[in-house]
Amino acid sequence: MVSVLTRPAEVRAASGGQRRRRRRRGQASGYLFLSPWIIGAALLTIGPMAFSLYLSFTDYDLFTSPKWVGTQNYVRMFTQDDHYWDAVQVTVKYVVISVPLQLGLALAVALLLNQPRRARGFYRSAFYAPSLLGASVSVALVWRAMFGSGGTVARGLRGLGIHTGSWIDQPKYALLSLVALSIWQFGAPMVIFLAGLKQIPRDLYEAAAIDGAGPVRRFVSVTLPMLSPVLLFNLVLAIIHSFQAFTSAYVISNGRGGPSDSTLFYTLYLYQRGFTDFRMGYAAAMAWVLLVVIAVITAGVFRSARRWAFYAGEDQR
Amino acid sequence: MTASTLTLRRRSGTRSGRSVLWHVVAVVAVLVMIYPIVWLIFTSFKPANEVLSSLALLPKHATGDNYSQVFHGIAGYSVWQYFANSLIVSVGAVAGNVISCSLAGYAFGRLRFRGRGPMFAFMLATIMLPQHVVLIPQYVIFHKMGLVNTFWPLILPKFLATDAFFVFLMVQFVRTIPRELDEAATIDGCGPIRTFRYVILPLLRPAMITTAIFTFIWTWNDFFTQLIYLNSPSKYTLPLALQLFVDQTSQSAFGPMFAMSVLALIPIGLFFAAFQRFLVDGVATSGLKG
Amino acid sequence: MSGALSRTKIGAVALVLAGVVSACSSSGGGSGGKQSIRFVWWGNQDRATATQQAVAQFEKKNPDIKVSTEFSSYNSYVQKLTTQIVGGGAPDVIQLDRPTFGEYVQKHALQDLTPYVGKSLNLSDISSELLSGEKADGDQYAIPSGQTTQMIVYDANLFAKAGVTVPASGWTWDQFLSDMRTVGAKTGTPGTTDLGWAVDWFDSWLHEQGKSLYTNDGKLNFTADDLTQFWTMTSTLAKQKGASNAQATTKMDGSTQNSAMVLKQAASEINYDSNLTSYISSYNGGTVKAAPLPSDGNGPTESGMAALPPVYYAVPKQAGHKDAAVKLIDFLVNDPGAGKILGATRGLPPNQTVRQQVCSAATAGNKAVCDYETAVKDKIGPSAGWFWPAGSSAIKTDFQQVYDNVIFGKSSPASAAKQLVSEANQSLNS
Repeated sequence: MVSVLTRPAEVRAASGGQRRRRRRRGQASGYLFLSPWIIGAALLTIGPMAFSLYLSFTDYDLFTSPKWVGTQNYVRMFTQDDHYWDAVQVTVKYVVISVPLQLGLALAVALLLNQPRRARGFYRSAFYAPSLLGASVSVALVWRAMFGSGGTVARGLRGLGIHTGSWIDQPKYALLSLVALSIWQFGAPMVIFLAGLKQIPRDLYEAAAIDGAGPVRRFVSVTLPMLSPVLLFNLVLAIIHSFQAFTSAYVISNGRGGPSDSTLFYTLYLYQRGFTDFRMGYAAAMAWVLLVVIAVITAGVFRSARRWAFYAGEDQR
Repeated sequence: MTASTLTLRRRSGTRSGRSVLWHVVAVVAVLVMIYPIVWLIFTSFKPANEVLSSLALLPKHATGDNYSQVFHGIAGYSVWQYFANSLIVSVGAVAGNVISCSLAGYAFGRLRFRGRGPMFAFMLATIMLPQHVVLIPQYVIFHKMGLVNTFWPLILPKFLATDAFFVFLMVQFVRTIPRELDEAATIDGCGPIRTFRYVILPLLRPAMITTAIFTFIWTWNDFFTQLIYLNSPSKYTLPLALQLFVDQTSQSAFGPMFAMSVLALIPIGLFFAAFQRFLVDGVATSGLKG
Repeated sequence: MSGALSRTKIGAVALVLAGVVSACSSSGGGSGGKQSIRFVWWGNQDRATATQQAVAQFEKKNPDIKVSTEFSSYNSYVQKLTTQIVGGGAPDVIQLDRPTFGEYVQKHALQDLTPYVGKSLNLSDISSELLSGEKADGDQYAIPSGQTTQMIVYDANLFAKAGVTVPASGWTWDQFLSDMRTVGAKTGTPGTTDLGWAVDWFDSWLHEQGKSLYTNDGKLNFTADDLTQFWTMTSTLAKQKGASNAQATTKMDGSTQNSAMVLKQAASEINYDSNLTSYISSYNGGTVKAAPLPSDGNGPTESGMAALPPVYYAVPKQAGHKDAAVKLIDFLVNDPGAGKILGATRGLPPNQTVRQQVCSAATAGNKAVCDYETAVKDKIGPSAGWFWPAGSSAIKTDFQQVYDNVIFGKSSPASAAKQLVSEANQSLNS
């Protein structure tokens, strides 16, 4: 994931001396600009993260000092814990279904709203409105009213002759109701797409139009490449967020992940282990496995992005 | 839906037809999207015995009782107290994130310095680790600094760019800014600081506004951090106050909770409506010459 | 992520570790002058208002003690409290429920209150049935905030419509099962909420047979066969429409808002009587009444019912001002004025005198609770055998998850029981 950045870019012009001077100045100002982040990392992030890595090799019940147990947590997780594998399955399913749907919808609506029409501001706000709600107890109750027994969805489907009953209370549909929630709250990626679309210089479209490119062609050869850094951002973040999905399942299933483990997200199970079961060592081990999995997937996305992400600010090969 | 265009559409004769179609599609989509919110608003006007027993959209007997209960105060404090607390925390977080993340974003996205790659990787790693496992050590740090039960643990980290999401957002936006622009500035004798001030910062406005909007809304709705660090009810924010209506082990007051949810929506709704304009207008500048 | 970082990481581990450890060992001592203590609980607004008023009275009587009150909802309470205790910011008086009490006691997080008993802490008017559950190794680690016991709450109109009456001395299990089937057949509403969902009701069922969930030293005190028998009974009743269906059962969490009965998916259900008030006020179109649990025996040991505190008051070992904390607890449970203000917001008052006073003034829901407890007085056993050890929170969650597999047809009662027992053993040994 690092290699994308350490591309031997920049410095085309300039003599050797200038280059060196610029680089030195770049060094110093790099740290200067980064100093808040460096202080934050040193003070608040590195320590706790490292501590959690250490904990993952211990038996730690929060109240007594951690006892070193080597890889026992990891072994138990992979070989003896049925709920763990339920959680993995649920989470993977959720990521695979919700990420493309949410991003696809966000991009479609962003393109729709990027056209010069009347009342765009209103539409933008209306589409963003669901994302204002976050995930609270009231959202959980609203979702029950939509997807619970006798809820809007069940009644609508009954009208079409399909009898599903309550989505939230059945193992085969419960996860879908959470996917629906994540799609419903697509406001954040939509706004980011919109900001990205706005960043595209208009003369590129004009040039393409003069070359006789149709709308599809312009989308493929102008919009997509120019939007690719933002697309990369949204994709990476959507993947990370879906792997860590927690709050929606926590409020809707009341912290349980039911029915029958069908909404037991990885992070929810981790939370149960850490704070209901007081097995923080185990929870930490789960967290680091998740980190490694997400890191590998993200690195894969970044690697593939070398082929499709285009940066106006960097050298093209 | 096709990409945005200006020139071709204007010339086309079917323009008004397309425009109607566009609005029809948009309105239908909007209706589906906001139905649950409309339901939430209507439910806040239902009397106590209807709130849970009836899933109908419209209240049978509409009442403002839930709202008067909320305005009557929650747990001995005026509802405005909670609004004020949420506002302090959210505004502080916005200021912190906008400043610190644009600085860090510029450094990661543009400047070359030793250790940049590993540091960037570490920054990404911080978003990949579930926060529950670092909660207790972080609490210990703030406890040692004597900052528990103040707003600092909620605001200070934002000034230290710990919100990696936004650092990454800034990085991605910085990287889309054509390098020719800051090279021109360099030739004019600008150092990195002035290049940042006069070239990068104006072009980063959309990203900064995005950051401001998201930070505001997410902080407004954030529950877990505020839960851990705020003790006295006089310091509670809206998400914490909302929870006071709910009790699993005895009776909950869902009517007032819905009413308060609706009230809590208003400021962020207004905030979004006001700033989404800049999101678009602010970028009129990007008629960049490449 | 890279090798270069590793040395800093080790340093950081040591640093934070040192922080955690020293935070845990620091217990600020209270010295003269005005003391400030923190009292935390979860609960609804009624509880909050009443408690704040009672605390104000306490401050008036003890001008040298200032109490700051903090409260939140249950779901987040335990996490926050644990973080504070572990992180060094422990409050002085805390409220606990049964599983959390067990966890904290076994992890030595609670102050032994025995030395205060008879001095600043008067327990003489609290029944021994109620007190016995808060002891560990003979020492008193918590004080009951009130009393509750199990009940079957039912819609009397629906029962009458089906021609079912509660036998004067309570149901036997056979009578109960057949009556529930009758209600289901005659009214279309299943007779009761499938009681297999909660480990609490399994605990009652075990007690009726002279067993219990856990031994006093925190081991499982039942076998997979016991659980198979219980789950076979409950899931069969559900299949016969005598108990609620899977979709209604799975969302049960003990609260009235998710109660199958309140949502008209069952005509009755088991719960603790501290919730009776809430049933009465939130149940639409029917008369809510309470009856004792079914039992094949007689008397307090076979009734499946016990005098349990809905919640406990305790003092964390790390609390800064323990004397003041104990004083506050004593005031909350014994002071007649406080009792009057608190009413039944944490179950019926633990102090007998205060309880009589509160009950004689009670109306509506609270009166129903008082009447019920008076009616079943002879059936209420001691809370001693109902201790839930560390690991019981996890088992409680797991119990419901595993039973979901039974009601949604994913596993048989026998294999589910086997799974639960093996996972429970892991939770207890961890």
